[in-house]
Amino acid sequence: MEEVKVGVFLSDCGKQLSEILDFKALTEHVKKVSGVALVVKGNEFWRGEGLKTIVDAIKSKKINRLVVAESLPKLSEVKIVKAAEEAGLNPYLVEVIDLKDHCAWPHRDTPSEATEKAKAMLLAAIERAKLLEPLEKLEFPAVKSVLVIGGGIAGIQAAEDLADLGFEVHLVEKAPFLGGLAARAGRFFPTDDCAICIQSPASDVKAITHTSRKCVYRSGFSEIPNLNILTNSKVVKVEGAPGNYKVTVEKKPRYVDESKCVRCDLCTTVCPVEVPDEYNAKLKTRKAIYINTPPVHPPVYVIDESACKFQECAKCVEICPTKAVKLNQKTEKVTLNVGGIIVATGFQEYNPSVIKEYHYGEYPDVITNLELARMIDGFGPTNGAIIKPSDRKPAKRIVFIQCVGSRDRRWNPWCSSICCMISLKNAMLIKSAYPETDITICYIDIRTTGREHEYYYEKAREMGIKFVKGRPTEISHDPDGNILIVDVEDAILRRFFELEADLVVLATAMVPSEDTRELAEMLGIELDQDGFFKEYNAKLRPTETKIRGIYLCGGATFPKDAPTSSLHAHSAAVKAAKFLSTGKIIKDQRTAFVNEEYCGDCEFCPVICPFNAITLVPKDEDHFVAQVSDLKCEGCGICVGTCPVNAIELRHSRPNQMTAQMNALLSVNGTSKPLILAITCSECGHTAVDSSGMAMMQYPANVRVMKVPCTGILQVHQFLQAFKNGAQGVMVVGCKTDGCHYEVGSQKAQKKVDLAKMLLKEYGIEPERLEMFHMVFIEGDKFAEAARTMTERLEKLGPLQLM
Amino acid sequence: MEHEKERKTSEAAFTDEIRSQLGGETVALCYQCGTCASSCPVARVTERYNPRDVIRLSLLGQKQEVLSSDAIWLCSSCYNCQERCPQKVEIADVIYALRNIAIKEGHIPNIYSEFAAGLMNEGRIVPISKFVEKKRPEYGLPPLRPAGLDALKKILTATGFDKIQWKKEGAQ
Repeated sequence: MEEVKVGVFLSDCGKQLSEILDFKALTEHVKKVSGVALVVKGNEFWRGEGLKTIVDAIKSKKINRLVVAESLPKLSEVKIVKAAEEAGLNPYLVEVIDLKDHCAWPHRDTPSEATEKAKAMLLAAIERAKLLEPLEKLEFPAVKSVLVIGGGIAGIQAAEDLADLGFEVHLVEKAPFLGGLAARAGRFFPTDDCAICIQSPASDVKAITHTSRKCVYRSGFSEIPNLNILTNSKVVKVEGAPGNYKVTVEKKPRYVDESKCVRCDLCTTVCPVEVPDEYNAKLKTRKAIYINTPPVHPPVYVIDESACKFQECAKCVEICPTKAVKLNQKTEKVTLNVGGIIVATGFQEYNPSVIKEYHYGEYPDVITNLELARMIDGFGPTNGAIIKPSDRKPAKRIVFIQCVGSRDRRWNPWCSSICCMISLKNAMLIKSAYPETDITICYIDIRTTGREHEYYYEKAREMGIKFVKGRPTEISHDPDGNILIVDVEDAILRRFFELEADLVVLATAMVPSEDTRELAEMLGIELDQDGFFKEYNAKLRPTETKIRGIYLCGGATFPKDAPTSSLHAHSAAVKAAKFLSTGKIIKDQRTAFVNEEYCGDCEFCPVICPFNAITLVPKDEDHFVAQVSDLKCEGCGICVGTCPVNAIELRHSRPNQMTAQMNALLSVNGTSKPLILAITCSECGHTAVDSSGMAMMQYPANVRVMKVPCTGILQVHQFLQAFKNGAQGVMVVGCKTDGCHYEVGSQKAQKKVDLAKMLLKEYGIEPERLEMFHMVFIEGDKFAEAARTMTERLEKLGPLQLM
Repeated sequence: MEHEKERKTSEAAFTDEIRSQLGGETVALCYQCGTCASSCPVARVTERYNPRDVIRLSLLGQKQEVLSSDAIWLCSSCYNCQERCPQKVEIADVIYALRNIAIKEGHIPNIYSEFAAGLMNEGRIVPISKFVEKKRPEYGLPPLRPAGLDALKKILTATGFDKIQWKKEGAQ
């Protein structure tokens, strides 16, 4: 093996640090460390001349390991590593530490102590660098093809973007027609324009006329090359890994040949079966063979399997002039090979029949907003007439009730966010068509936060729609006159009203689509506490999931109005395109690997891995071993922390590397205070230390920071090891338990700390010597405070007595 | 000035005090939708009681007004409000919590002092009149047995019931 030659580059950050740290002493100290071949002090090393010094040293083969003490670690590290790589050094043989924010600035009041700490920090970096191993960059092929699940407003737009960009796109919709919830809504707020039009894909090239940029109906959507639309279809199986998924789709028979049907409507004239039309809120019936109106793609009839009498009748087969009806069609299984998946499964209206006091499902004249929308729609079951379903007489008095099953901790605690606007829209559409209608909206709060939304509310008041601030307790039915009575207190007047109504419209909660949970399990992605799909990071990664290559958009993450769904869809399309555009996925190898000899197939690691990167594979008879997918592994090391037999390790954070680093940090104290090892995760924990230093918050120099990828990698014995090797106290600093960058890492670490505390007691060590802290970047003050408190606590406890 | 007076009597700690009482834990979740009020049979017949008002005043720290008014004693404990509250505020139980605080602070309606005196002296909340005693045999009912005052007194002592500063008879 080649002799290890470490080059150490010490930056005084433009002489800022030399006022605090004794660089002469540091240089002397570092020079004496075995394996150090070169020590250079300078003003800065992350750019310009300084960086060139590093590059030259590498090129001249003077060094083959690199340690740089530089400020701005997050930025400078990127530059230094890149330059080192270009100069011919494996980029994983570089250690960058921050003597400014982690040492000089937070300990500026005690310069000599700071210098001693800097010695320990440098030694730790050197010892670690010596043990680092070169790692490869891995390349995986990615199929330039995307599956979009859900053919509503979001799915249609994401699919179209990607198809236009040249990707092969499969759009899978479980209903027989595209359009989703939006198509049923009829019109959109706050412009009252046609919902079908707005969900138009704006495929410029394929437009038939220039106006068709706003209309799905005329846009030639189905003619876009590379776009494969599968309606009546459901994803049933997903295998493979990012860049290369094998997806099985079950395509239910339509019983009508899409290429032959000419929509002459003769089939419905002969079909003898009539069933309630669910799409139209059962306000009319339809035949067993039918098409939704207004029609969205595909413009082809479909046969309702549960209603059709098939060969017993077959009248449609006889009459069809193009022989399009095929009663012998079977369910097909379609296999798709895709690189990425976009989930656009939307949301649905909550069934309010569980709210007994509102008697939905019992009183026919209590309906939901979506059912009302079908009535308002000119194409709908009543041709635009607003009627009482019980006797089909015109509804003259209408009461809306907001927040039904929403903002209700008994059912769905969240605000569904769009129902205020939906009720305003429906109320105004009715009021415009039938101005004599008496409309009251009972609300708790009216929420109109979008653009032009408040004007909409204003217009509703101008039109004479009444608003009662109060949530009704009950709807009762008066058979005398067939009217509904709504019991409500107007909280502003403190007066009780019994509102008489012909029709009561419930602004029902919006909840996750039916198959959300099943799909999440299939894809291995998370749901949030309300059961919607959870994005990787709501602020910065709003369309990504924890699994690379799987994206979310539209109402699948939360109820959304049309404009927001569109934005979300285009954004998801860009992310998917970015991921697959080069046809390959480059990943580094800082991944976990299994020592098969020790692995006892206990199944802990496959279960704990947040990224589903570990599977058990057969090794020999009756014996399985864990196997890590380098492609899926995100390098957190939670598996390492979980493995009971140490059979799994993380490259770049191997046990010997961590031990060497820990021992070096604890090798010198140089202060009068008890030594503390602060183990931080590389995410929030470490940046909190950065920010406390940046703000020059002071804490004593006895606190030594050791960075690990995620606190989830830690094992109980490491805490014991720290005490054995000279630490008087151990702090574990991780992300917030609900904000861990690796989902469960900091929760797991907390559990291990709690467990270790019990063990410490057994060993006669005060459990208070070990503590876990959870913080984020901006909580540097919290870190400094924790470091000071911990020091004081240890001073009170006195020196550690090991048995 | 009226305004200043209001400022002085507002006590933010009142919400915490209610929350620390058994039954009062959920009070702060109220968002004033009024479902409780429209569910309340008492509020329908008298303006002296409206559960939404009581909770609002409590959350705004209007301690004296809440405790000294007769509103909190008018709740009939039908629990309709509690069943239907969309925020799962345990409204009827909050009212009980308020009553407990009121009693501690000496806001005791006379009738309750009378009940307490009855309980402590005779072991019964409602005194038994000669009339009742005479009537019982006519309906085939056995004569009333003594109330077990000794056992009851032990309970009242153990729970601290006897330490409460009940008002003397005839006091206002």
